[in-house]
Amino acid sequence: MSAAPVPPPPNLPSSSASFHPLHTLYFCEECDAVRCNRCVAIEVSGYYCPNCLFEVPSASVRAERNRWDSAEVGITFEKPTGLAQQLQKFEDSAPEFLEFERLKDFFEPLVRATSSSHGPGNTSHSTHVNALTTAASSALARDIPGVSKGSKDDLPVYRARVEVSGASGLGAGGDGDADIMRHLESPADVSGLEQRWLSSWAEPLHARELKPIRIPLHSRLTKRCPACRHILIKPEQKAQSVRYKIKLVAANYLPAISVNLPISQTTRKSMSIAQKEDDGSTGKSTMIAGKTYPFQLSMTNPLYDPIQVRLAVQRQQLSAADEVGPGSNVEADNAKLRRPPFAVTLPSTAFSVAAFAEAWEYEDDEEMFGVDDDELLVRTGNGASPSKERSARGKVKTVGVLEKKANTTVIGGEVVLSRDGRGDVKFNMLVSYTYRSDEPQDDNEGDPKARSTAKAVPEMKTFSFYTVVNLGMIVPKEDLTSAANAMEM
Amino acid sequence: MGLQPPVYYIKSEYIETDTGNKVSRRATIAGPQNIILGGKTIIASGAIIRGDLRRTGTGHAVVISLGRYCLIGEGCVVRPPYKTYRGNFNYYPMKIGDHVHIGANSVVEAATIGSHVEIGKNCIIGKFTIIKDCAKIADNTVLMPNSVVPALAYCFGSPGQFVEDLPESTQEIVESETKAYYNRFQALES
Ligand SMILES: [Zn+2]
Ligand SMILES: [Zn+2]
Repeated sequence: MSAAPVPPPPNLPSSSASFHPLHTLYFCEECDAVRCNRCVAIEVSGYYCPNCLFEVPSASVRAERNRWDSAEVGITFEKPTGLAQQLQKFEDSAPEFLEFERLKDFFEPLVRATSSSHGPGNTSHSTHVNALTTAASSALARDIPGVSKGSKDDLPVYRARVEVSGASGLGAGGDGDADIMRHLESPADVSGLEQRWLSSWAEPLHARELKPIRIPLHSRLTKRCPACRHILIKPEQKAQSVRYKIKLVAANYLPAISVNLPISQTTRKSMSIAQKEDDGSTGKSTMIAGKTYPFQLSMTNPLYDPIQVRLAVQRQQLSAADEVGPGSNVEADNAKLRRPPFAVTLPSTAFSVAAFAEAWEYEDDEEMFGVDDDELLVRTGNGASPSKERSARGKVKTVGVLEKKANTTVIGGEVVLSRDGRGDVKFNMLVSYTYRSDEPQDDNEGDPKARSTAKAVPEMKTFSFYTVVNLGMIVPKEDLTSAANAMEM
Repeated sequence: MGLQPPVYYIKSEYIETDTGNKVSRRATIAGPQNIILGGKTIIASGAIIRGDLRRTGTGHAVVISLGRYCLIGEGCVVRPPYKTYRGNFNYYPMKIGDHVHIGANSVVEAATIGSHVEIGKNCIIGKFTIIKDCAKIADNTVLMPNSVVPALAYCFGSPGQFVEDLPESTQEIVESETKAYYNRFQALES
């Protein structure tokens, strides 16, 4: 789902960043806009330890930096609390820590000298960073002939506390490591790459010499709209609570859309080999090139007001690169690319989706869900022949409103696949819905006639968004036959 | 909602209780007097629930309790955790909340599983594991004994590790999915 004015084509891998499942999106009432996890501003509302769920006060997070994981490494503590501080003693004498201190001692005077020459006025943070960068780049410049810039060349030479390079250096391996490996009894005796990688630059090769490390705390987040700073998500105080003081999620504003491609069970079975393993669970279907399929879209209205919905398929955007191809081959390829391998028909007129009512939440039985899917299958026909909005009595209808049930409207569409079509049948669909922005009145709710007369009233609002519809994958005819043959053996 | 096809079962294979629990006759329910099913909970074929493994000494005791709209998938084993404490071997009760789905062939020895929790297929949930509300455990995950899974955490791997936080609307999604699943789970005569 995307709130962007014009979404990218859905088939490009890079487009995935522009679309998010509805349930991961937020809605800012102030801006009347959909927000996503990438764009919201976040702040930590509380910390907790993922291992024991202890809620760590923010003050002690700042003081102790973090909490500890323990392991059998023969470290004894004098008292059961403040382990971080007790372990700090060992860390303070570690060679890499001393080296870091030495580096700081070396660079800090230089940094101070350069930053004072820049003069006051900057914020302390950016000055610091700038000065560091300057110092680093001048140090770099000194080693590259011709790059150095006169006066900054006279940086003193830094001498490391410990010789790092060479076979005897810290963490350098060499004969010592080879010897350890030779006498290894179990691979578990060697500390894993992951264990060493994330810690310091000189972690021991022996697993038993590994020190306990701080494990990162988890946090619960408050999320704000990036444009107006209004709070979209505010968790409750308790870290393990799944309730929120404020929760403005898009699912409470935008209709939920699900798609279904009814294919008869036998077809489904014979196609199971050609299908990717988990297609059954994701509801993704496969279709045969050159055929026509009806599909269904269900729209569920979360608002306490009925909505009028209009759908439109986005035309495939052509990028500049597609338009000009120097070679004839490339042009031919592009022509293929340009012509989408399928054509989608959706109802062109607006349709209504009834208001959400609390009562339906409790009446969660038979009538609400799925029972009449079979009816739907029968009514829309299983399959192949194109039948564009034949409204004459007795004929099957595939395009148009198929069913209205509680706050859900099911509409039918149709997709025609080209003979040489390949890949996913994925398209961007523009959904526009109109609703009344004031408080609902109890009379004539859900009555389409009443709605259409009310249309003239100025407090009707329209909201539009794009969504990707993925109907499934096109399977070439020949692939399918070979798959079916394989099944019979 | 409502577009997913029904999941059919042969009517004679399942026993339906007054509160809408559906228990396969091919499931092994040991010690049923020690098991509580909250209602509208499905125990699939081949599942094994060990209500018989109860704490010694006490008479009638709840060993395993499951909330509403739960699913114990095909071939799952649900067994109370045990340990030897002060020289005494004992089983400890297991509590599972509402709207909890456990995928096929998973083995569960947790102490507590909150509500709105999804556990995938072929998982091993180690002894005394605590899984908080709205967590999700991916297929084939192995949680070590005594693991703790925070609320809204998505865990994956062997050993299972935290991957990311789930969206704030997880509770509503899982609730509607588990309800929909129960309603799609329909009897086919004969
Ligand atoms: Zn965003
Ligand atoms: Zn805003």
